[in-house]
Amino acid sequence: MADEFAKGTAILAGVGLIWMVLAGWYKTPSFEGAQLTGAPPAELGTYGEMALVLESGLRWFIIIGVFTFWVVIPAAEQTREYFAS
Amino acid sequence: MADNNDEEPMADGGSGTGIVAPDDETPTWRERKERTEGLSRLTYEYFERARREDQDLRQESDYVERDVLAFPAWPHEMIRNLSLTSFFVGMILFLSATLPPHIGPPANPSSTPAIILPDWYLYWSFGLLKLGPLNPELSILGGETAAEGAKLMADRTYGVVANLVVVGFVAIVPFLNKGSARRPVEQPFWAAVGVFGVVFAFTISMLSIKNLLPIGSNLLLDVTFLLPFVAGTISYALLRSMQEGYMYDLNRRYYRLRPPK
Repeated sequence: MADEFAKGTAILAGVGLIWMVLAGWYKTPSFEGAQLTGAPPAELGTYGEMALVLESGLRWFIIIGVFTFWVVIPAAEQTREYFAS
Repeated sequence: MADNNDEEPMADGGSGTGIVAPDDETPTWRERKERTEGLSRLTYEYFERARREDQDLRQESDYVERDVLAFPAWPHEMIRNLSLTSFFVGMILFLSATLPPHIGPPANPSSTPAIILPDWYLYWSFGLLKLGPLNPELSILGGETAAEGAKLMADRTYGVVANLVVVGFVAIVPFLNKGSARRPVEQPFWAAVGVFGVVFAFTISMLSIKNLLPIGSNLLLDVTFLLPFVAGTISYALLRSMQEGYMYDLNRRYYRLRPPK
């Protein structure tokens, strides 16, 4: 149980750091407006588009990974223990 | 016996094999085999290694009994501190290089903002100035009209006195409890007092910005003083329930030698 929690925390912290940097670069139009969730600029080069794709992928990786390690796997183990006994 | 004087002196007289007989708190072999995986295994190995080093230290001939037994500063603590320092320095460099902070326009000294608030870490004191509803009204002094003159002291004076009360309590706590507990489980009551203080600091800060919160003023005042007691009670019950089990016994055994109070 504790190992799964540590894995979820590692995903949240490690991948979240990279995601925060990318979102700070491409999805933070101004200091006063939306932070990390704003609209990306219209004209982006190839690297910019790749970064946006990577940012979206990392975001979903955080959400799905944390959900998996904190909810799905412990719930599955609890269910297996319940039906085993 | 004269021949023994040339040998290395040993604390137990030099006659034994070096194997220490288990006492009542030493886990049995079955208990050891049960902790075979994950964090429990890691924690167990950590404490077992610490216990073994402690035992080796005690069996050395030049060992002198002291009040505190702990890890030596070199290399244990130094490696830990250097790795922590490297991590945080690297994180500062990384963040300052990738996300440099925004430098805004200079402040305009000729315009006053609509809402004036102190810095966030002073919200608690600002909230204590807003305890007007708690200022007792005395019917002897002014009669039924509570608006003017019916209170023992003005609301602003009451707020300043409330600041003195809170600061005075914070100053008294170290004299009531010397802080000899290494972790909250050992003294649940004082840990609960700490939780009460932290939660009260938060709720009184929320009270100070009550005009910005979507909660009714009366409800917010009630929550401000109820929530700390609820949180303190819950943490006390939780910590009391944690005062059992293998890890608690192990910790208590390892930290049995304490600095003098």
